[in-house]
Amino acid sequence: MKPRKDLLTIESLSDEEIHTILESAVAMKEIFTKSVKKVPALKGKSVLTLFYEPSTRTRSSFEVAAHRLSADVTTFTLSTSSVVKGESVHDTIDTLMSMKMDYIVVRHKNSGIPAVIARHCNASVINAGDGAHAHPSQAFLDAFTIREKYGEVDGKRVVIIGDILHSRVARSTSVILRRLGAQVAYMGPGSLVPPMAHTGIPQLKDWDEIFTWKPDVIYLLRVQNERIESPFFPVADYHQAYGVTEERLRRIDAQDISIMHPGPVNRGVELCDAAMDYRNCLVCNQVENGIAARMSILYHLTPATLS
Amino acid sequence: MTNSFITNAVWAPSGKKVHLRLGKAGNSVRLDPAAATAVPDTEDVKGITSTDVELPDGAHCTDASGKLLLPALFDLHTHIEIPGRSKRECIMRAGEAAIHGGVWGMLVLPSPAFCFDNGAALDSFREAVEERSVAEMVPCGCITLGMLGEQQAPYNTLATTRDITILCDGDRAPQNLLLLYRAMQYAVDLDLTFAARADVPALTAHTYVHPGSTAYKLGLHPCPPCAEEIGTETLLRMAEATGAKLHLQLVSTAESVRIIRRAKERGVKVTAEVALHHLLYTHEDIGDYNTVFKTTPPLRDKEDGEALLEGVKDGTIDCIVSAHTPCTPFAKKQDFISAPEGMVALDTLLPTLYTKLVKPGRLSWAELIQACCVKPALIARPWDHEEGASSEVPLLLFDPSAECVVDESTLACGTLNTPLLGETLCGRVTLPL
Amino acid sequence: MPPWPRTASSNSPPINNPHIDLPAMPVLNEKDIQEALEKWTDHILAAAAQASSLGLVGLISHGDVLAQRLIRALELKGMHAQYGAIDITLYRDDLDLRAARPALRSSYLPFSTDGMHLILVDDVIQSGRTARAAMETIFEYGRPQRVELHCLVDRGHRELPIQPDYVAFRLENATGDVNVRLKELDRQDAVHY
Repeated sequence: MKPRKDLLTIESLSDEEIHTILESAVAMKEIFTKSVKKVPALKGKSVLTLFYEPSTRTRSSFEVAAHRLSADVTTFTLSTSSVVKGESVHDTIDTLMSMKMDYIVVRHKNSGIPAVIARHCNASVINAGDGAHAHPSQAFLDAFTIREKYGEVDGKRVVIIGDILHSRVARSTSVILRRLGAQVAYMGPGSLVPPMAHTGIPQLKDWDEIFTWKPDVIYLLRVQNERIESPFFPVADYHQAYGVTEERLRRIDAQDISIMHPGPVNRGVELCDAAMDYRNCLVCNQVENGIAARMSILYHLTPATLS
Repeated sequence: MTNSFITNAVWAPSGKKVHLRLGKAGNSVRLDPAAATAVPDTEDVKGITSTDVELPDGAHCTDASGKLLLPALFDLHTHIEIPGRSKRECIMRAGEAAIHGGVWGMLVLPSPAFCFDNGAALDSFREAVEERSVAEMVPCGCITLGMLGEQQAPYNTLATTRDITILCDGDRAPQNLLLLYRAMQYAVDLDLTFAARADVPALTAHTYVHPGSTAYKLGLHPCPPCAEEIGTETLLRMAEATGAKLHLQLVSTAESVRIIRRAKERGVKVTAEVALHHLLYTHEDIGDYNTVFKTTPPLRDKEDGEALLEGVKDGTIDCIVSAHTPCTPFAKKQDFISAPEGMVALDTLLPTLYTKLVKPGRLSWAELIQACCVKPALIARPWDHEEGASSEVPLLLFDPSAECVVDESTLACGTLNTPLLGETLCGRVTLPL
Repeated sequence: MPPWPRTASSNSPPINNPHIDLPAMPVLNEKDIQEALEKWTDHILAAAAQASSLGLVGLISHGDVLAQRLIRALELKGMHAQYGAIDITLYRDDLDLRAARPALRSSYLPFSTDGMHLILVDDVIQSGRTARAAMETIFEYGRPQRVELHCLVDRGHRELPIQPDYVAFRLENATGDVNVRLKELDRQDAVHY
């Protein structure tokens, strides 16, 4: 594998890199079973988590991953409002680079920001979600979870449900699953599912079509309740139309389908309570695998600060 | 009359070989405002003679074999402000860039530094142009004070005492339709043209690209084409209702072309322009967030580009414009959402038109001269400003066999935000006159 | 037999094995290695006879294969030993010196090492850095009662104060790299340099 500085999108990775990172994630997960849950691979390295959008889960996941690799972690939380208006991200990074960071984990509401930062600094930049563009570490943990459950991703059928248009998770996860040989379909409200001509991914009309399509995994996207200033669709009747209701859960159970969700789950919106306790609900596995996948990502990137 | 001649040049509109007498009277052609579509033929052009005619004895001849003779271009859409530079430098650089690109004159749209909402601003601008610019610059007055869309600018005074012919609030129309409607009613008698880009801001706020594969791939909010089309209908209806002259800026969608075509058929006094980049590029060129391709309106689909070119050919779209907009390298180095819109195109205008449209056979020389020389000049009427001046435009010689690499040393405009950087263009503008 | 090493599935990346196409002549052949393993087994039988619980932990890759063969041989002679395999990559001290990080392999240690008599098995010992990393790795799984280091080949050039407890071959004058090939991974048994 050639050295890679940054992880910005799944598209930018070779097949070999995707396989290697997934394979190493398996080894990383084994570390959790040891009495000492820590390895010295990144001893002396510094990791900065730079989150312009709040996300406790992803940030903690990266921080735990870095700690388990023995790296030092600095947290830098900026709510967008506190960023001085007009301050360029370049200037922020210049300030941060004087702290001699080796890895920067960044989340920002603007699509494409991590790439700008990556071009601008020597540290390895890991995209932890940029706008509606990409969320590659989520993609790795999703692929890892499916692989762990079924032995392989190749040939599996995954339907992603929700607001595809504004979802970075749908974009990155669909790419990695397709690269690994899975079939992906989208289902969601009206024009919030971009046409197949733009995505290359078929659209299913409703739940009946989903059950006829015979998926192995149903992947529910999170409804972004917090975007209240101009919501993309009414949340009130989302559960009835697109969520896993108890009636649908029975059919899911009958067909032995797995349920995944990037978290945090809005109970009663995407999933009914019973779905969280369903035997094939992989949501908790996703969280645990997220740490292993992120350890593998951190481990396989080579910051330019080392050479 | 001097005795210097350029011989054996090809008169681009007709393809005939001609001689051209150099000198004060012989270096321009008269445009006929009454017949906007007519390109003056050889016989009508002062100082140009057919090769059948014998040259006078003792004539000093410069052979221009292989070169094309054509009227210089007029550009109806330029922003000359370079962020962070002095006004004088902006004027000087835009003028030089225009000459490189075969442009003799341009309409300068108001911007924060060149806010043409009062006589003094216009006077000092014209003074600076006189002093610094090698190209003609026609200022475009503001519709509202400070382009804020709140209070009408004193355009009666601007029109009567400062010879303003076109009004425009930068790249946008006032959002307050009542204000615009009243302005149009009031301005009818002043023979003013309202230039505006059709838009519905509520639909296009925080959108960055045309809906399509690029928007999906890059996760950028798409800008619905219907916003421009609704805006186009709105402006057309208002112009129709008030009788005002309307110039639609930066038309970018196929449906807009059809709407304008229908409006022209029923006699609305409307002209329209298309930016050169909308004819040459699509949203797919944005690739991996290449901010050079960030424009407003965004780059559209291939079908839109074809419909726009068709519109230019059948006269629905009157002009092709550069939409020249200098942006600093730092500004364009930011992420796609934060980076400013626009590209520079003055320096390369005629070579690009030739290389990308005329040479591959997509546009004829006659069509190009209509869309880039004749109609823009007739819309902007640059000669209104000078007492008793006639509607003459200068001529230029164009060497289609020359090649030129676009790089820092060949761009005079002051910034480098053009996708042509590093490309080799065919043709060079030479100015013997 | 424990399910390790797994046969490479078509999903896994090709294992970049530099051993396969080396033209050099083998200094030790299949028969030499076979005999060496027999002697080695006898040594373990004698030395660890009193050990209540014996574990052989191979270092991935090659050490794990040797450990498996030794366990099979011990089994035939009536001695039971636990099998384990560890990937020591994350403990290496030269990670930053490489252009890219090597892919990780899954470790396999299905028993508690507390109080056990462990034998770390590797194919070649040279600088001693791998052995150091292996020691660090193994201690993060528990507290073994005793740890030994056994190697197929000792090729000298030590950089750390570490000596194996048992060595099958000494090739201390070898120039260049010493490569061990094993049938399970490389289609033949041989040692080249």
